[in-house]
Amino acid sequence: MRLLLLEDDPLLGEGLRDWLTAEGHVVDWCRSLAETLAMAGEPFDALLVDWQLPDGSGLDWLKGRRSRGDRTPALMLTARDRLTQRIEGLDAGADDYLVKPFAPEELAARLRAVARRSGGGADPRWHWQDVALDLRARSATLSGARVELTAREWAVLEALVLRAGRIVPKAELEKLVLGFESELASNALEVHVSALRRKLGRELIETVRGLGYRVDKP
Amino acid sequence: MPAPPPPSIAARLARAVLGWALAWGLAVGLAVWLAASYEVDELLDEALRSSAEFMTALAAEHDEAVALPVGTVAVEHFAWQLVAADGRVLRRSQRAPEQAWHATPRTGFANVAGWRVYGLLAGGDGRVLYAAQTRAERNEARAEVALGAVLAALTVGLLGQLWLRARVRQELQPLQRLSQRLAAWQAPQGAAAALGAPERAELIPVHAALEDLAARLATRLASEQAFSAHAAHALRTPLAGIDAQLAVAARTAPPELAERLVRVRGAAARLQHVVAALLGLFRSADGTAALQRGPVRLDELVQRLPPFALALQAAPGATLDADADLLAAALLNLLDNAQRHGARTVHLAVGEHGRVLQLRDDGRGIEPARRAALAQALAEERYADTGGLGLMLADRVARAHGGRLRLPEVAAGFGADLDLGPR
Repeated sequence: MRLLLLEDDPLLGEGLRDWLTAEGHVVDWCRSLAETLAMAGEPFDALLVDWQLPDGSGLDWLKGRRSRGDRTPALMLTARDRLTQRIEGLDAGADDYLVKPFAPEELAARLRAVARRSGGGADPRWHWQDVALDLRARSATLSGARVELTAREWAVLEALVLRAGRIVPKAELEKLVLGFESELASNALEVHVSALRRKLGRELIETVRGLGYRVDKP
Repeated sequence: MPAPPPPSIAARLARAVLGWALAWGLAVGLAVWLAASYEVDELLDEALRSSAEFMTALAAEHDEAVALPVGTVAVEHFAWQLVAADGRVLRRSQRAPEQAWHATPRTGFANVAGWRVYGLLAGGDGRVLYAAQTRAERNEARAEVALGAVLAALTVGLLGQLWLRARVRQELQPLQRLSQRLAAWQAPQGAAAALGAPERAELIPVHAALEDLAARLATRLASEQAFSAHAAHALRTPLAGIDAQLAVAARTAPPELAERLVRVRGAAARLQHVVAALLGLFRSADGTAALQRGPVRLDELVQRLPPFALALQAAPGATLDADADLLAAALLNLLDNAQRHGARTVHLAVGEHGRVLQLRDDGRGIEPARRAALAQALAEERYADTGGLGLMLADRVARAHGGRLRLPEVAAGFGADLDLGPR
């Protein structure tokens, strides 16, 4: 998943970025609201938002996105633990609310849960024909046989599965998989898609010519 | 030993009025006695004189032909004698003594042996007519008047006491209502609105003092809330950062270093629990956050805790009614104590219908005298004498739930009962 991490604390921000990257996510880390301006219009699978930032409120920033119709799943990461504050955060549009301190394992699990819910299902397992995915365990099987995927291949597949049933433009998929700052060879995405088709079957990922890629809903 | 309750205003006033009523009754009775004595004597002396004059006139008018009637009522209070000039009693009423009241006839008033006597010349031969009345009758008249006055005064006093008691109770009701409103007042609600307008002039300064106190309290509370919010942010964020960094480091470090980092991460997790508990206690103590009580399964609670070098044996299916975060922090500290005191196994159970978390370990335990001293210090909340944060924090958590930490005598090892109070 491509994640926008909005956290001003360098120790926590760096730790979360590294942990989530190691989990196979693409993390764009902003330390202030000002830094998010450069991300305007970028597609993300989820937003990780600290409430209190040096140049404003992360909650107000999220409200602004919601008022503009943005439905990207969002988790509040904050030290504000009062019941009223949790309610305020969830009412402002957060899909989940995690009080600091938290274990990065829990954040990763909640992230997966939020992403699944936004994709229309709470079950971490995804089936399509002979292909079975476990989004929590990050494992794939074809006709019951385990299939090894690289981190990039998994990222491409997860991005498509979370958007199952709709066409994902190539440019959006590149950003989701590689992040804002990463460079990609012009055919890198096709290479990963091709590898996935070879490992999991040609019919899994459909190319919609001139528009992008799509996987069917299970 | 608890101090006796302070005296009641209503009871004190009622007692004072009763005392005044008694004193007033006695004073009125004495005054009436004195006044009545003079007036009764004067009135009865007049009656004696008139009687004597009437009888003398009657005798003179009819000379010796008229025989004065002799009294026949043995208990009469009036008597008379007709005495010759030589002192012989010529005639007398039934009650009159056989001997003349005066050995030598004399006129005018005199007190003689229990009688009030009035003598009047009855003709020119020196005879004297005595009309007399018993002094007992006079005294009885005086006493009856005085007693009536005393009883009347006492009746008025007693009725006044009862009336005043009811009235005082009625007048104290605004004070009672003020107390009830004050008890129901919740900071930071404005005291003026909560207490309402003063119902009596005497309560105006009380309201003013309470509102001033509430304003200072609200300021203090706001300051403490701001402090706790800042403290929460300043403590929670770095702790989360430390944990994230340790998690990343443990994942990428070589095995021998990774194992060490996992232990450090466990210690950091314990620190997180302690900080969370302290922040939670701080807020529950200042009333800004209520406990989030709910059913907590003991086995699930144990699973939440960071790893210990202890064998934890939790009663399966046992459930407590508690704030899970605070309970975890308390248990964590008790387990930390057990580990530091050489325990290898800790048994956890729930007693008293889900009210008490019972912990028993197989460690070195403590001396009975030391256990008693610790228990006493906990009972009196003298945390300086509890030897560390663990027992204090556990006790504070228990007290936040409405109970307290007890240290029961156990046969071996150490025991602690975390009483979480009534549900």
